[in-house]
Amino acid sequence: MDALNTYFNSYTIVGVFLVIGILLPLVAWGIGALVQPHEPNEEKEKTYESGLDPFHEATVKFHVRYYHIAILFVIFDVETIFLYPWAVAYDKLGLFALIEMLIFVTLLLIGLLYAWKKKVLKWM
Amino acid sequence: MMNEIMTSQPSWLNVLKFTGLGVALILVVILFVTYAILAERKVMAFMQMRPGPNRIGGKLGILQTLADVLKLLLKENITPKSADKLLFLVAPVIAFAPAFMVMAVIPFSENVTFANLNVGVLYYVGISGLSIIGIVAAGWASNNKYSLLGGMRAAAQMISYEIPLVLSLLGVILLTGSMNLNDIIKAQDNVWYIFTQPIAFVIFFIAAIAELNRGPFDLVEAESELVGGFSTEYTGFRWAIFMLAEYFYLFAMSSLITVLFLGGWQPVMFLGFIPGSVWFALKFLFVVFLFLWIRFTFPRIRADQLMELGWKVLLPLALANVFITAIIKEIFFR
Amino acid sequence: MSSSGIVFSIIAICAILGGLMMITLKKVMHMTVAMILTYFSIAALYVLLTAEFVAVAQVLVYSGGITILMVFGIMLTYHKAENRDEEKVSSFRKLITFLSVATLGIVSYFLVAPVDFVAEEIFVGDHTKAIGEILYTNYIIPFELVSILLLVALIGAVLLAKKDKEEANE
Repeated sequence: MDALNTYFNSYTIVGVFLVIGILLPLVAWGIGALVQPHEPNEEKEKTYESGLDPFHEATVKFHVRYYHIAILFVIFDVETIFLYPWAVAYDKLGLFALIEMLIFVTLLLIGLLYAWKKKVLKWM
Repeated sequence: MMNEIMTSQPSWLNVLKFTGLGVALILVVILFVTYAILAERKVMAFMQMRPGPNRIGGKLGILQTLADVLKLLLKENITPKSADKLLFLVAPVIAFAPAFMVMAVIPFSENVTFANLNVGVLYYVGISGLSIIGIVAAGWASNNKYSLLGGMRAAAQMISYEIPLVLSLLGVILLTGSMNLNDIIKAQDNVWYIFTQPIAFVIFFIAAIAELNRGPFDLVEAESELVGGFSTEYTGFRWAIFMLAEYFYLFAMSSLITVLFLGGWQPVMFLGFIPGSVWFALKFLFVVFLFLWIRFTFPRIRADQLMELGWKVLLPLALANVFITAIIKEIFFR
Repeated sequence: MSSSGIVFSIIAICAILGGLMMITLKKVMHMTVAMILTYFSIAALYVLLTAEFVAVAQVLVYSGGITILMVFGIMLTYHKAENRDEEKVSSFRKLITFLSVATLGIVSYFLVAPVDFVAEEIFVGDHTKAIGEILYTNYIIPFELVSILLLVALIGAVLLAKKDKEEANE
């Protein structure tokens, strides 16, 4: 029972911390709003662009390499998710699981090597 | 005291107690941030042989940061006309809230622990990843070229280094057999993991610097290229929230390194009579100093070098470290 | 209502709210942020079911990874900050849509309502360890298949994006 109570209390703390984390900026801004001046004018509200008037759309099209990095990230993220239970339970699993995991990681490393050879990892 | 609350039936009274403890923690962290900023400036000044802040609060500039905060408080909040008003305000909150949430899991001493999660390590990594969205959203909502570029660069950098960060931790997890940070500290009773997992420590530290966007990996704020990065359009207290989030992560990451590799509150050798919290504080301050030292010593690296270091060097190295650890454990400790 | 019921209701409302915002908001970036709310609330639901490892995996992969992938996907395509034009939808079509959704809701309610959920013993302890022990002994083959799936996904993504780039260059 103690373990279950600890579990739920722990996540209650997480929830409380989430609420505090959201409230702190809001409270800080609330205090700020009481003392800050507010005199907007057109010049102030312009977007900064090294002193020039802003031109073109700011929402530019980004290079495809950003997308590649994101794909690689998601795939290796999933891989880590598989590695963690393996590492935690390693004491009870032993050699067979080690070999299985080596195969798993090797396959993904082939993918990384492929991306490497295709110059996906090259930035610039 | 904490143990009693944790094992008691969850109730609304507990929520109230936790709120009190959470507010206490946030005040401590804010105090840390105030003096971390001052320390950063003082250490930088010392290393560059100049006096640094020495006007407000005596020669040491003790009140300097307070004055800075006061200045920020009195600054006008400007929302650019072309900005996306709603997301412009929501983004700092998305970036900040996770920075405080991650601290829930860190055990500061034997008695000062908050959430006791069995997935502690992954919780930290998962929650801290949410901040990236806030940063990209801020860059996008500003509708400014520098902001968007800065935000995208930050995101690309942070996701690239999250993988080596998580993988390097696996060595520690393999040795402990648990992701619970309390268990990890207890497993370092005799030897700290910095000695048994030196490669993991080095990879983790490099990846941590990149995750924190600190020098030499501070490309996100490379003012010569990107002006202010994703926070270019932010003013006053709105900008301060991003700054606060950054230093909250510095606090959390230094604590995490202390816990994972330096034995947390475990005393050194026979000096057990000194309380655990003091040991934690000493090791923690050492890690913070290390972050500052590295920042002032190395020049900023290039964007392409940054990405290639993460994917081509740290990632394979981290994977190799995992399997070397597993094989050694299989052969010698079975 | 019990306090766990209250907590569940709050989380469930957040999840549904995120979903609704996702389909009603006009700008893609707003949709992405709304989606994080849904993903995060679902993770909270897993926590409520004491499935903490699944919850963390949800946060790490969906709230962190998939959303970033989507954001980068958005940035890859041209997108205007302005709202896209409202398409005119006839009220007849709206009515049909509403009726079919309502029917689906009623049917699924009557399908789920008679099912008797047996309260299982709550597993207390390290879930990750339990998952690891089962996954790497009983489910080795599906696990290895996952690695092939991931490899195919990786190579496919690289190939597709390369093709796009070559076409753009021509």
